Amino acid sequence: MAHQAHAYHMVDPSPWPLTGAVGALLLTSGLAVWFHFHSTILLSLGLILLLLTMYQWWRDIIREGTFQGHHTPPVQKGLRFGMILFITSEVFFFLGFFWAFYHSSLAPTPELGGCWPPTGITTLDPFEVPLLNTAVLLASGVTVTWAHHSIMEGEREQAIHSLTLTILLGFYFTFLQAMEYYEAPFTIADGVYGSTFFVATGFHGLHVIIGSTFLAVCLLRQVQYHFTSGHHFGFEAAAWYWHFVDVVWLFLYISIYWWGS
Amino acid sequence: MSLSTAALATRRVLAAASHSSHEGGARTWKILTFVLALPGVGVCMANAYMKMHAHPHHQEEFVPYPHLRIRTKKFPWGDGNHSMFHNPHTNALPDGYESSHH
Repeated sequence: MAHQAHAYHMVDPSPWPLTGAVGALLLTSGLAVWFHFHSTILLSLGLILLLLTMYQWWRDIIREGTFQGHHTPPVQKGLRFGMILFITSEVFFFLGFFWAFYHSSLAPTPELGGCWPPTGITTLDPFEVPLLNTAVLLASGVTVTWAHHSIMEGEREQAIHSLTLTILLGFYFTFLQAMEYYEAPFTIADGVYGSTFFVATGFHGLHVIIGSTFLAVCLLRQVQYHFTSGHHFGFEAAAWYWHFVDVVWLFLYISIYWWGS
Repeated sequence: MSLSTAALATRRVLAAASHSSHEGGARTWKILTFVLALPGVGVCMANAYMKMHAHPHHQEEFVPYPHLRIRTKKFPWGDGNHSMFHNPHTNALPDGYESSHH
């Protein structure tokens, strides 16, 4: 029987990077085709392919780590670096939209009335639903920390309860934000105010949905005994991502909702 | 500034949690969840609910500003003139509200 004389993971050949790349190509070109030729077939194909890729790739990682023991300490260290680098890249992604917002709002053009908010824009009251949204996300940061300590202390039931609470809070935020989107007196087509507001908060909302999904997967894994008190990196990665989503919201709230109103 | 009894108790619990080696960490955050986090959400829920009913928002007067309701390119859905979360009561189209009743 062959053994490796090192602690690293030589991954088996996998088709998922290729299917993911093809899916991304179909998604992007499909978006352009939808905008110009009103056909959604390419877009739908790309979406399905990407979702299938994500499901199977991450399922394989769970198999390799949890069931086959390939995630030794050095391998886990690499995974940690990877997640940190990814979140860093996301920080820069949002930085761009904050740049756009401050560029437009610090020196409002004459077309907007020379003021911010622009003439004719009725902003949302930052102390109504937006404040509630802030409380919801901050609370979810507390519950996810409770979940982490529960996992570390081997408290199975508490971990399940706190993780569930975190996900419910995430859903509540998404529900409240969807309601706000419908009730808002301005739309994405309302000049640069609408553009910066809905693109920045829209991408944030997408990240809340992604983060909630990541946490939900962790909940399923916790129920199925995947995590041990000393090894639960999947959960840690989900918690890091969730805290990042929370921090982005705090910046959004202070900049766009509060200062920008 | 003197702290309330509850604040003093919280400080004691948090100090204990930081000194002990992962013992009681979960308990601390469980307490924070039910004493601080969730009641905070409840307070903000009540506040938002009351504020929403305190001033029932009237439909904003329509002024056809050229810098708003941009339609340089049609939306790729429906008639191309309605945003994704279009609300006929609060969102006017470029030539005015569709429905003017409250």
